[in-house]
Amino acid sequence: MKALLVRAILAAVAAVAFSPASAQNNTTALPPYVPAYEPRTVDERGQWMEADEDERTLRDSPLVIRDEALNAYVKRVLCSTVGQDRCQGVRIYIVEVPALNASMRPNGAMVVWTGLLLRVRSEAELGAVLGHEFAHFELRHTLNAFKRARSTTDVLAWLSVLGGISNTDTSMNRLLLIGSFYRFSRDQEKEADLLSLKYLAASSYPTIAASQIWQHMMEEADATAAGRKQKSHHRYSAGFFDDHPTDLNRAVYLAEAASKAKGGNDPATAGYQAGIAKFLPLFLADQIKLNDFGGTEYLLGQLASAAGWTGDLLFARAEMYRMRGNPRDLVSAAQFYSDAIKAGYTAPEARRGLGLSLMRSGQVTEAKSALTEYLRLRPDASDAKAIAALLAY
Amino acid sequence: MNKTAVTLSLAVLLATNASANSLISPGPQSKIARSSLSANPSTEWNRLSERGGKNVEIWTIDGDELNKVTFFGGVPVGEPLLKEADKKHAPLPRVTANMLITDIPAILESSYRIQLHTMRMSIDNQEPTTVGGHKGIKFTYSFVREDDEVERKGEAVGAFVGDRLYLVTYEAPAINFFDKDVDKFRQLVTTLKL
Repeated sequence: MKALLVRAILAAVAAVAFSPASAQNNTTALPPYVPAYEPRTVDERGQWMEADEDERTLRDSPLVIRDEALNAYVKRVLCSTVGQDRCQGVRIYIVEVPALNASMRPNGAMVVWTGLLLRVRSEAELGAVLGHEFAHFELRHTLNAFKRARSTTDVLAWLSVLGGISNTDTSMNRLLLIGSFYRFSRDQEKEADLLSLKYLAASSYPTIAASQIWQHMMEEADATAAGRKQKSHHRYSAGFFDDHPTDLNRAVYLAEAASKAKGGNDPATAGYQAGIAKFLPLFLADQIKLNDFGGTEYLLGQLASAAGWTGDLLFARAEMYRMRGNPRDLVSAAQFYSDAIKAGYTAPEARRGLGLSLMRSGQVTEAKSALTEYLRLRPDASDAKAIAALLAY
Repeated sequence: MNKTAVTLSLAVLLATNASANSLISPGPQSKIARSSLSANPSTEWNRLSERGGKNVEIWTIDGDELNKVTFFGGVPVGEPLLKEADKKHAPLPRVTANMLITDIPAILESSYRIQLHTMRMSIDNQEPTTVGGHKGIKFTYSFVREDDEVERKGEAVGAFVGDRLYLVTYEAPAINFFDKDVDKFRQLVTTLKL
């Protein structure tokens, strides 16, 4: 029954999304922007001081990915979304956490988790999320929230509505706790969503991308739940204590707003794939170790539907199946490793995985030949001695 | 009435004692982690009351953030290494039948990533060894937990015996502590029996 209801609402979303655009109105007008903004009041100066201190900690964190090209790329997407004048002052920190999240400090420091980069499928979708965070900054939401409730010590997290998607228990999350002052209200979230849509409307990216993210999040949550043999439960309205609108709610109102201001035509899917290509193997490796079989299968399927089953994707899928290790999984894993090699995956680790899967399936002779090949290709591997021992068993 | 009160308070005392940390003196120690694991440490250790799992026992010298030996005593097929903090949303990988020695570091890494939020972890060196006379693996690793971002190093030995996973790990901050106490761990490992 619930599934039916979800489908009906999604259909409604799609209908809204693809209905002819009504006449453009002034919803696309962006608020005026002040460059090099400085805090003006006691409250705001205090917040900026805290945020500056947090940012110093963040800057030195071993979890920050410092690759120049990747950082430049994410910054470029932000700039293409919100405009060159607005984006210049923002510092982006890409942090290696395999869950979907991004956040913005009141002083203009933006945190992007690698799980977000793995999940969005185009520059337009990434731009929608980054634009949303930037909107909080531009609208000085932190300050307003602080004034409204000085005692607020709750946590900003996109995760709070995503619940089942993430394997990361955010309660212990220091990086999130750093953001403890920066919690926004549900109205502010909606306000930021809609301003983010205005940025998109003024950019070369299509505005519908913002709604699509939330649809994919719901689908991934369903896949995760199914993979764990749990019921999926979407909520149709936010609870009293929720600080984000529900995914479904967001998908609906964003699609509705997008139909009024479509923005550009090019979501830059290929550009996005090229932009994160170097780091995709790392993001995938982090994801498959989370023991989220259903959700990861969905993600891999999504990535494959955009780029085809590349060697990287096949290898990641094989690793995940081998890790779960049911007899049927080991057979599938061996197949995916072979497919990866056929698809041009040259890293010797594919031979390693193939050999180990076959060995666990009892196909010892073939296993040994694959493992021998691995050792020949990578004689200095950190596990060379252990693999050699398996060959000798 | 009085007798009952005395008995009750004694029971409470005993219960408190049973759950407190305790000193491990040098000399033979048996039934570690409620299993057939035994060892013969040549230095003093402290056993923590906190266990982390059904088949788990933790020893330390200066506190588990600074040097920590964890014994996983025979985790059976179908069970996770650690007690799951959030079984519904963050289930841990299970020990499966026919696991190879190279799967031991992999299951430890995955469990840590999920439960301890070790966003960055690498298995560094893996070589064959024997654990109490059984064929096993010795490996080193390094990781950063998200809550304190301290760079830690680890060293471990593990083996499958009768479809049960036996694993003993040593972890300490890479700066100062790891090297300070690693020899005590290595001595301990040479005395392990199953």
